[in-house]
Amino acid sequence: MTLPAFSLVRPQTVAEALRVLQDAAPGQAKVIAGGTDLIPNLQMKLYAPQLVVDIKGIAALRGIEWSPGQGLRIGALTTLTELERAPIVREQFPVLAEAVAAVAGPLQRNMGTIGGNLCLETRCLWYNQSEFWRRALGGCLKLPMPNPHAAHPRTICHVAPGGKFCWAVWSGDSAPALLALDAEVEISGPRGVTRRPLRELYKNDGMDRLALGHDELLTAVHIPARAAGRRGTYRKLRIRNSIDYPLAGVAVAMEVDDQGICHAARVAIAAVNPAPLLVPQAEALLVGQKASPELIEEVARAVTRTGKPLTTSASTPEYRREMLRVFTRRALQACWDRRDNVEHERDTGD
Amino acid sequence: MAEFSIIGKPLPMTDARAKVTGLGKYADDLVVPGMLFGKILHSPYPHAHIRRIDTTRAEALPGVKAVATGRDAPHPYGILPIGHDERVFQTDKVRYIGDNVAAVAATSLEVAEQALALIDVEYEPLPAVFDPLAAMQVENPEHWIHSNKPRNIEKEYHHVFGDVEQGFAEAEIIHAERFYAGEVTHAAMEPHATLAVWEPDGRLTVYSSTQVPYYLQRTLSNVCEMPMSHIRVVKPLVGGGFGGKSEVIPLEVAAAVLAKKARRPVKITYTREEVFYAHRGRPISYMDLKVGITREGRITAVEARMVQDGGAYCGYGPVTVLYSGNLLHAIYDIPAARYDGYRVLTNKPACGAMRGHGTVNMRFAFECLLDVLAEKAGLDPVELRRRNLLRAPCITANQLRVTSYGLPECIERVVERSGWTAKRGKLPFGRGIGMACSHYVSGAANPIIRSNMPHTTVHIKVDRDAGITVYTGASEIGQGSDTIQVQIVAEVLGVRPERIRLVAADTELTPVDLGSYSSRVTFMAGNACLEAARNLRAQLFDAVAKKLDCGPEVLEARDERIFPRHDRERALSFEEAVAAALEAQGALVAKGTYAPPEEARGGTFKGAGVGPSPAYSYSAQTAEVSVDPETGQLTVHRIVVAHDCGRALNPLTVEGQVEGSVYMGFGQAVQEEMIWRNGRLMNPSLLEYRIPTTLETPLIESIIVESHDPEGPFGAKEAGEGSLAATLPAIASAVYDAVGVRIHSLPITPEKILAALQEKRRQAASQTRNSGTHPGGGS
Repeated sequence: MTLPAFSLVRPQTVAEALRVLQDAAPGQAKVIAGGTDLIPNLQMKLYAPQLVVDIKGIAALRGIEWSPGQGLRIGALTTLTELERAPIVREQFPVLAEAVAAVAGPLQRNMGTIGGNLCLETRCLWYNQSEFWRRALGGCLKLPMPNPHAAHPRTICHVAPGGKFCWAVWSGDSAPALLALDAEVEISGPRGVTRRPLRELYKNDGMDRLALGHDELLTAVHIPARAAGRRGTYRKLRIRNSIDYPLAGVAVAMEVDDQGICHAARVAIAAVNPAPLLVPQAEALLVGQKASPELIEEVARAVTRTGKPLTTSASTPEYRREMLRVFTRRALQACWDRRDNVEHERDTGD
Repeated sequence: MAEFSIIGKPLPMTDARAKVTGLGKYADDLVVPGMLFGKILHSPYPHAHIRRIDTTRAEALPGVKAVATGRDAPHPYGILPIGHDERVFQTDKVRYIGDNVAAVAATSLEVAEQALALIDVEYEPLPAVFDPLAAMQVENPEHWIHSNKPRNIEKEYHHVFGDVEQGFAEAEIIHAERFYAGEVTHAAMEPHATLAVWEPDGRLTVYSSTQVPYYLQRTLSNVCEMPMSHIRVVKPLVGGGFGGKSEVIPLEVAAAVLAKKARRPVKITYTREEVFYAHRGRPISYMDLKVGITREGRITAVEARMVQDGGAYCGYGPVTVLYSGNLLHAIYDIPAARYDGYRVLTNKPACGAMRGHGTVNMRFAFECLLDVLAEKAGLDPVELRRRNLLRAPCITANQLRVTSYGLPECIERVVERSGWTAKRGKLPFGRGIGMACSHYVSGAANPIIRSNMPHTTVHIKVDRDAGITVYTGASEIGQGSDTIQVQIVAEVLGVRPERIRLVAADTELTPVDLGSYSSRVTFMAGNACLEAARNLRAQLFDAVAKKLDCGPEVLEARDERIFPRHDRERALSFEEAVAAALEAQGALVAKGTYAPPEEARGGTFKGAGVGPSPAYSYSAQTAEVSVDPETGQLTVHRIVVAHDCGRALNPLTVEGQVEGSVYMGFGQAVQEEMIWRNGRLMNPSLLEYRIPTTLETPLIESIIVESHDPEGPFGAKEAGEGSLAATLPAIASAVYDAVGVRIHSLPITPEKILAALQEKRRQAASQTRNSGTHPGGGS
């Protein structure tokens, strides 16, 4: 498959990148970092940008910095492999180390960046297809392709026919882990550098996923110092153990004292909604409590109320919802039992 | 001294260096001056009349050098003489999403893609049918996919061997069940690519990723209305075929038609999505199987019904459905069997030959049913198989000739290596072991186009520097055929393999070989190499005998020397022997051919031509798995496989083939499936069509069993396909051993396992309730 025609610019500083983005018409520029999401999408002609802004040359966007006062700052261009291997991440933020290690395969992790992973396009089986495929279908709500030959002359959502809402799912692994660590994102734009909670980056809309202006750039991720040392684990539902995006993902981060009492807790899920989401009731249910099967089941039920899987991917909604429940239970139990970095579900046995 | 000096050695493949360094050239790597890029326009409809095609706007686009439609290639073709129902571009109607309508050749891929959008096609949609069971019910001839195939039945076969009624009457335990297998595809790493070069003298040279250069040459001759001698087909390195390149694929004809029209070289490389539309994979199969056994576990009768979802064109379809029936036999002793096989047309890409062609899904059903029957009879599944072994040599009920039969040894070896006896039924809940067997042909005994000509011919030439050139039509597609042929010639002539240059699969230079399908190459091209090398050696021996003043019958060739068997010091070097022969007779050339013997060609009933083979390979396997009862997730830890390949001419390549077969079987067993929604393939990519990665692929321990087939070259049989089919039922059997549910629908997904476990719990709960309210009741 060919790439569509576009101009490529390679800014060397954030300021230069922002100027380029500001000069471009809204929706006409795409930012490329590792390219593992953008390039296949361009080949499928999901976008036709006039401009592709390659930010890989911006040295300031690289690197991981830790200070006990400030917490962890991760430059947007930090690769997932770098993150996975960083001792500070492995020791203090195990849920993140585990989540980034679960992304795609090693080659994609070598190229893919944390900034890119947080800005992934949403996925849907009816959308992530070639131009030919989508044209034959007549497109979908997210990307209509009016065509006299189309099977559906009026563009509809194939997941929820009749609906006006796009259910394409957020299929990243790192975001739920970072949500569970209270991460913030650093956004550079015409109004300078701001920090916002990561959860505010996501709009939970398959068509319009990010609260990020066309003239803004995600330049870093911050994890507050208070989240350091949280027990955590990430459970990912996938069909094969590598080169697979999540069909459901559960990230848990907790503080548990010597008596087994939970003092802080976050449960976040991915790949079952158009955004990665914190489960709102989880914290209230867990804080101040000791582990019990009843409590864990109650949190798991809360998780399945937050997750809204539909027929956007290879696995059925029913199974994905059931796995949300099982994975939440297991992740909570693992955190209480302090088994960080447990092996992936399918790796049990030998 | 060892019996052989080259045969049986684990030599690396002759093309390994080129492949691993990236220097090897595959079809898409080829670039020639003036080359154009071709793209094919595909149908967006599953079934529609074509009312009008207008290419004017596309032709006017700068950079477009040719636009071809059905008018440029009106002749139908197809791999089977009874199935010439394909045209490279459709003129009257399209039959699946992805069907071929037109093509362009342009100066760049981008221009070619733009030009496709400028071809105006007017369609009139027709009702389409996507399920074979529904397709068989379509009564309206206007809606049949091909007007000459009533109710969309491409072919049906009805076979009865032995007294089936009597067999079931004698049976003490009978079990019947329906099985289902989803559709899978080859997923060869190399997408299809073809470069067609229009030569200045009006000839055509076609470089193509094909398993069948000869059939491609024949088809192009027909479609392009050119004599075969004016068409040269060259097979470069091929990055895997597995059956997906074993018939003529639309891009091959499209490239040739465009090249002829543009008078320029044209290259077409399929996108991965187009590979899925070209397809020719393993069909969706509905199987109804019934087997009866005596209380002692002897099979008395088999009844099988197969409905295959063939897609929109014939392809190899009738062969697939015949393999499913005829290869019920030749593995166990089956006195009576009925088979009803239906190959049905649907509005989807055509299915065809895929590794284990036709046998895999039916073998899954059969072995799963044996597992059930063993339990009902209170027998170990291994013991049930032991009680139904053939006594080779023998002729089966459907007239297949079995000459060598290593299955008993395969079974005993895997039982021993896997720790079967200590494990089956004895592992903790969630962990299990299963076993199954399979077999395959070592080449089809009957050619696709019936004739009494050889199936393969090999030429050898030796010149003054004593370099040996072997000319073979056999197609190396990664299976190691080049290496094996070099080893055979080197063994016979007693030379180092490095002395031999193999020229293969170039129709201008090499004699005809029918192709790399039905696991025929080692057996057939190997036998032709053997004969050619022996003929050449006889010439050398005659010359050497004169020099040494001895009889040629006492001579032996080994270690680059030719010498009398009992006087090894009186030797001529190979170079001296070649010089002597050239002096004596002028040219040093030899030929060898192979055709399966008459008595291996099977019976005379309708459909008897498919299944007969000069020899059969055998495989037995155990699979050890664990199942997570809360998620249904299945982990296959270890597969022990024993494969009877007659003799391992090269144990390294045999193991590679056996491991590859198990890997593909594993993929189909647990996770590969083409997902369809109204004739639309939902997963036409290697991201969504999930072939296994190394992480979930089990440890595969392969054991080579050598039964020394009397007809095979040095006793060899096939190694590339026979071990695939057993993997699936072995895993299913292990799942049952682990958690007590039988999944008789492929692939065995976590969802299916979980649903079956939940159903089982529900049943157990309701039984408990029932037995509570009705004391003394229950099962």
